[in-house]
Amino acid sequence: MMRRTIPALASMVLLAGCPRQALFVVLPNAEGGGVGAITVEDGKTATTLDQPYATAEARAGSTAPTAENQENISVIFRRAIAAQPILPQHIRLYFILGSDELTPESKLAYRAVFDDTKQRPVYEIEVIGFTDTVGDLPYNQALSLRRAAAIRDTLVRDGVDRRAISIVGRGKRDLLVPTADQTPEPRNRRVEITVR
Amino acid sequence: MPGRKKLALALWLAAGLLIATAGVPAATEAPPIVQKPIAQIKKVTGQASVLRFGERRPAIVGDMLFVNDVIETGSDGGIGITFIDNTVFSAGPSSQIALDEFQFDSNDFRGAMLADMRQGTLAVVSGDIARSTPGAMKIKTPTAILGVRGTTFAVQVYGEH
Repeated sequence: MMRRTIPALASMVLLAGCPRQALFVVLPNAEGGGVGAITVEDGKTATTLDQPYATAEARAGSTAPTAENQENISVIFRRAIAAQPILPQHIRLYFILGSDELTPESKLAYRAVFDDTKQRPVYEIEVIGFTDTVGDLPYNQALSLRRAAAIRDTLVRDGVDRRAISIVGRGKRDLLVPTADQTPEPRNRRVEITVR
Repeated sequence: MPGRKKLALALWLAAGLLIATAGVPAATEAPPIVQKPIAQIKKVTGQASVLRFGERRPAIVGDMLFVNDVIETGSDGGIGITFIDNTVFSAGPSSQIALDEFQFDSNDFRGAMLADMRQGTLAVVSGDIARSTPGAMKIKTPTAILGVRGTTFAVQVYGEH
């Protein structure tokens, strides 16, 4: 234990005299949910940071965990964070069985997609259509594409730039809720929309 | 065999015709590679530019970015870009970041990316690649390589003095 600690301490003291070459910080997750991790490998050691505000620095080519207070971190990255665009948004809308017409609830939720585009100076929209397992593959492939197209057409009618929208149909592959074949499932009759 | 010779001749003639009509002088030029955009510039403040094929052009909101582009900011600049896998990069002043590698399959959300962070400050919100393919998103700095597992983080690289 001592054997390991003393050289480590000594090298830390030596490195502290060298200028900092890089700083690595995990930030609180923008989208909520769990924090992931970053691993910094300098060829000799791998340093994993997996807590908000966990920090590592490079000196003389070596990376090691360090303590940097939150205030300094905010100052160092203030301009980089200020340059952050509005983050991509994901929205799910649901359809009536066998149809490309939205459910009444999703008709209301659709506004969120439209409103979101208004917040962005530029935007790209991806619409992916899906179905439940009622019907055969070709039927559902076509239906899923019709659903995506219906959303695109509504957006275009509302004034969204058609060139910014891409659509694709995934049929009854990629079920949100796994079911047996020929099973009606409202949560699988959907489009997944990304606005970025 | 004669048939094949004829075909070869026809191909040569066709190629000659193409070169002639296109007015391209060198027949040795590599076939054009159709590059797909990998990101879009979403936000620019102050001075920011894109270095492409050795040519520096101003960064403009809405412009698309491609593999091998380098984004740069001046001493008062900032730039925000969103990749097609929904990874978001934003750089502060005096930054230089090269988009060295990027592959993404929108069917299964898998892919790989490598950005070369040469100097400055960069904040990152990782996207589909880091989520679906552990270890596939990497940021290179002068002293280390950073691997990302679905998270928000920031990197500062001090410039050479």
